[in-house]
Amino acid sequence: MSSPPADGPLVRVRDVHKFYLRGSERIDVLNGLTLDVAEGEFLGLMGPSGSGKTTLLNLIAGLDTPSQGQIWVGDQLISAMSEAQLARWRTRHIGFIFQFYHLLPVLSAYENVELPLLLLGLSAAQRRQQVLNALELVGLSDRLRHRPGQLSGGQQQRVGIARAIVTDPTLIVADEPTGDLDARSAEEILDLLCEIRATLGKTILLVTHDPRAAVRADRLLHLDKGLLVEHAPASSPP
Amino acid sequence: MVSILRELYYGGAGTVVFLLILSVEAILLLLAAGRVPLQYSLRNLLVRWKTTLLTALAFTLVVAVMAVMLAFVEGMKRLTEGTGEPGNVIVLAEGNTDETFSNLPVGDLTDIEQQPGVLRDAQGRPLASRECYMVINQPFPDAPPGRPKRRFLQVRGIDDIERAAAVHNLHLAEGQWFSPAGVEERVLPGGTRRTVVQGVLGRGIAEELGRARGPQRRAQAVNPDRLEVGDLFELADRTWVVAGIMDSEATTFNSEIWAKRSVVGPLVGKEGYTTLVVRTAGPAAAIRFKNFLERDYDKAKVKAYVETEYYENLTQTTTQFLIAIAVVTFFIAIGGVFGVMNTMFAAVSQRRRDIGVLRLLGYGRRQILVAFLLESLVIALVGGLLGCALSTLADGWSATSVISGHAGGGKFVVFRLVVDAQILGVGLLLALAMGLIGGLVPAWSAMRLKPLEVLR
Amino acid sequence: MKFLVLVAKNLRRNPLRTVLTALGTMMLVMVVTLVWSVLWFLDQATTQRSENFKAIVTERWSIPSRMPYSYAATLREGAARAPGDVRPLDWMTWQFYVGTVEPSPQKISLDNMVFVVAIDPDKALTMLEGMDLLTPEQHREMEQIVAKAKVNKQGIVMGRTQMARLNKRVGERINLYGLSNFKGLDFEFEILGQFPPGRYDGLSAMHVDYFNSQMDAYPSRHGGRKHPLADRSLNIVWLKVPDDQAFNHIAAQIESSPLYTSPPVKVETLSSGVGTFMEAFRDLLWGLRWVLTPACLVTLSLVIATAISISVRERQLEFAVLKVLGFRPGQIVLLVVGEALLLGVSVGVATAAGLFVLVNWYLEGIRFPIGFFDVFFVPPMGVAVGAAVGALTSLAGSLVPAWTARNVKVADVFAKVA
Repeated sequence: MSSPPADGPLVRVRDVHKFYLRGSERIDVLNGLTLDVAEGEFLGLMGPSGSGKTTLLNLIAGLDTPSQGQIWVGDQLISAMSEAQLARWRTRHIGFIFQFYHLLPVLSAYENVELPLLLLGLSAAQRRQQVLNALELVGLSDRLRHRPGQLSGGQQQRVGIARAIVTDPTLIVADEPTGDLDARSAEEILDLLCEIRATLGKTILLVTHDPRAAVRADRLLHLDKGLLVEHAPASSPP
Repeated sequence: MVSILRELYYGGAGTVVFLLILSVEAILLLLAAGRVPLQYSLRNLLVRWKTTLLTALAFTLVVAVMAVMLAFVEGMKRLTEGTGEPGNVIVLAEGNTDETFSNLPVGDLTDIEQQPGVLRDAQGRPLASRECYMVINQPFPDAPPGRPKRRFLQVRGIDDIERAAAVHNLHLAEGQWFSPAGVEERVLPGGTRRTVVQGVLGRGIAEELGRARGPQRRAQAVNPDRLEVGDLFELADRTWVVAGIMDSEATTFNSEIWAKRSVVGPLVGKEGYTTLVVRTAGPAAAIRFKNFLERDYDKAKVKAYVETEYYENLTQTTTQFLIAIAVVTFFIAIGGVFGVMNTMFAAVSQRRRDIGVLRLLGYGRRQILVAFLLESLVIALVGGLLGCALSTLADGWSATSVISGHAGGGKFVVFRLVVDAQILGVGLLLALAMGLIGGLVPAWSAMRLKPLEVLR
Repeated sequence: MKFLVLVAKNLRRNPLRTVLTALGTMMLVMVVTLVWSVLWFLDQATTQRSENFKAIVTERWSIPSRMPYSYAATLREGAARAPGDVRPLDWMTWQFYVGTVEPSPQKISLDNMVFVVAIDPDKALTMLEGMDLLTPEQHREMEQIVAKAKVNKQGIVMGRTQMARLNKRVGERINLYGLSNFKGLDFEFEILGQFPPGRYDGLSAMHVDYFNSQMDAYPSRHGGRKHPLADRSLNIVWLKVPDDQAFNHIAAQIESSPLYTSPPVKVETLSSGVGTFMEAFRDLLWGLRWVLTPACLVTLSLVIATAISISVRERQLEFAVLKVLGFRPGQIVLLVVGEALLLGVSVGVATAAGLFVLVNWYLEGIRFPIGFFDVFFVPPMGVAVGAAVGALTSLAGSLVPAWTARNVKVADVFAKVA
């Protein structure tokens, strides 16, 4: 499953195809996509609905496996892993941020952030330290015991971000993280993502329809009918 | 289900304890294996507290009903187990399994009593009791509406009451044994003087007869709920007086009236004897004596039982009731299982996204299964504990029934329901089994959910 | 009708939940219907009919009842002796016998014991209990058996359970050796047929003449000694009376007659006699009626309440929309209660009807030995009981969730959705 680490991109996607079968009909979502993501890069993915951007995100995050092709993250060939191996790999290497936060409503902010750490065999003291650090980073140290129902949308997404970074993952993937937020909250979240990328040196993959989010990316990729079209970031000179 | 319940019931407390320990260990294993925080499962139960409560209450009722039914049977079982001395041999006429139909010639009795193996009392007399067991159909004109105007009363005619008491190891709780004549002179209400029959009653039948009196007589009685020493009652067209109350609650004699055989037999046309009970040196001696009578004794053809064995044979009804309880419990438990299945399927459906997130975070399928299974078991445990608590209210209730062996006949008995630790253990096991079966399929379906689909 | 269609469609919304609720309902309705059937039958047996009912004459004080056979001749006339005395419409005598097919005393067991009653075959169809409830085919079969029994006095009609235990077939011969008080009384029989399924499963019947002739022949085989029961072989005399007044007359005639003093006799209605026997089981029956049945009803209500509550919780938006469309609160209640009722009543009826067929036709009765009743059937009214149980518990279980649905606040629901 691994090859000697190369000094190269963190994420390597090689000629990846993904299709689904609906009855006897085959639906091609990704058609021979090849892509590199450098370590520490903030990559944005945009495209119309059905373009395959979320599918690509899911493949890179180890939530799904390609029909054909290879995906490397670090020195791990994740496209060849079994479901159980992917689950274990995800816990350590991926931090996922959802559009609708997907916090467990009966758990407090602290307990939601702690969830992935429970799979890592850490002591209670270690877990506590990491959770507190993550919540402090997102500015919610005073909301430890609050349940999602007691938090605003922006605060819930911060908890989601804290949960995503608490395991110190290799890669952070965010699927429309500002899609359910008002403009001000969205800006705050995007600021936070940039700060995380700057202070922790995290590699971030962001799927978005939001131009404000797109402009924060180092590089913007456009998907259309399962293929990539690259754009320069909005901030670069024409 | 019948054999499981029979094994749990007759297998003794040991089986139940073993299974409970096994269940606790299994739950602890689940808790250890499950990585999903327990508070996630518990808080979800609290958030949906109404549904949780409704489901748990269904468990409560199923467990309580089964426990009360088992308590009824346990009361009967303890009564039959408590009756009979291991060193006694009960002798009936050949071919009889029930005293009611037995008819022993007096010559046979005398000879059997003299056989070696029969212990003697301080006066050198054989420790043997000659008895005539009768069931009398007595009218009760004052019976309350809806109750029959006749009842069967069990009367044991005894020749020598003190020897009988010694053989049966029975003592008086109140009053005294009947006199050698078995009768006494009494001035009845109204001033007439009459010879009344002396009877010694088991406490159970004293309560039954006490409550069967008309409202006027009960209002005037010393104790409206029980016949007391000195109280009068009617039986077989004679007036009787309660000479004593036996300390017989754990035995079938609790439902009997003892009187002088020569007085009571002719009242109902029974002149002879039905039963001879002899005391031997101990259980082993009793078996030897019984075998001697059945195989080697040629002066008369009799049927002999070790007394404890005779009463154990009367558990046929107990077994039949146990079968009926098992069948009923099975069906109502299945009903409860479908109830908890509904609740858990709804829980899974409502928390599909939670499941998707947990799977995405790296929690395995088995851990999802364990989380939902634990929820179901917690509902079951809460409901089961409540059911056990509710059923303890029935402990000590007085009840009546019939115990009988295989070949007809039977004894009317008064006994108390017994809710003991074994029954509570069985109740708890039933609840856990229902929780496991009802929760497994929904937990399985939770386990099978695909994260990507539920999060789409 | 459209409302009903809407109700039915709502049940299809979550088929799994509907099926699970239906299955739970089915189990509990089954238990309640079976328990009710047993209690109903016992109530029938202990409730006196007002006309054309039976009375029984037995020994006054003790059981087993043992009277001289000589009592029969006058008892069957109701001891009528004076002008104006009332006679019964019909009569039957019963003499009990217990024997075994096993000649070796060491091998005697319940499995080879046979309980027989000696009766006049002419009286079987008119006086045996339950003969008026036979199907036409069963009645025809009994008529044929009775005809054979009248001719072949050494014939025996056996109960199904007894025949199965002995592994015997109609037409085979069996010898019975007397047991207990019937020791020395042995019989040779040809099996003429078997009783219809039900109350006579554990009993057999022989010709009264054969029984009495063997009793009379006993001294010749036993050194001139009479059989111990020779003078006490009559156990029950059955009398059919037209009404209460006739019963009271006949009872007075018999109980005041000087013919029956040793032993004295008593006269009671059949229902009263049965009631006396069942008195010992009163607590058990009380428990069935007032503990088990209510517990099942409440459990079923809880199962339905759980299912309906979950359904209502999931459909808050739908109820809000219905309200916006103009549905009144009462109609919302009816919708929810209607769903529960439709499910409860249909499953209740189907379960009870299925039980009726299964128990009565396929299983030939439920075996629950209590007193001298061995087998119980589900009466036709049992189907109505199933429907009633389904309806009652559905109503009880759905009222609170229906009220919750009725009280859904439209603004709150749409605010949540927004």
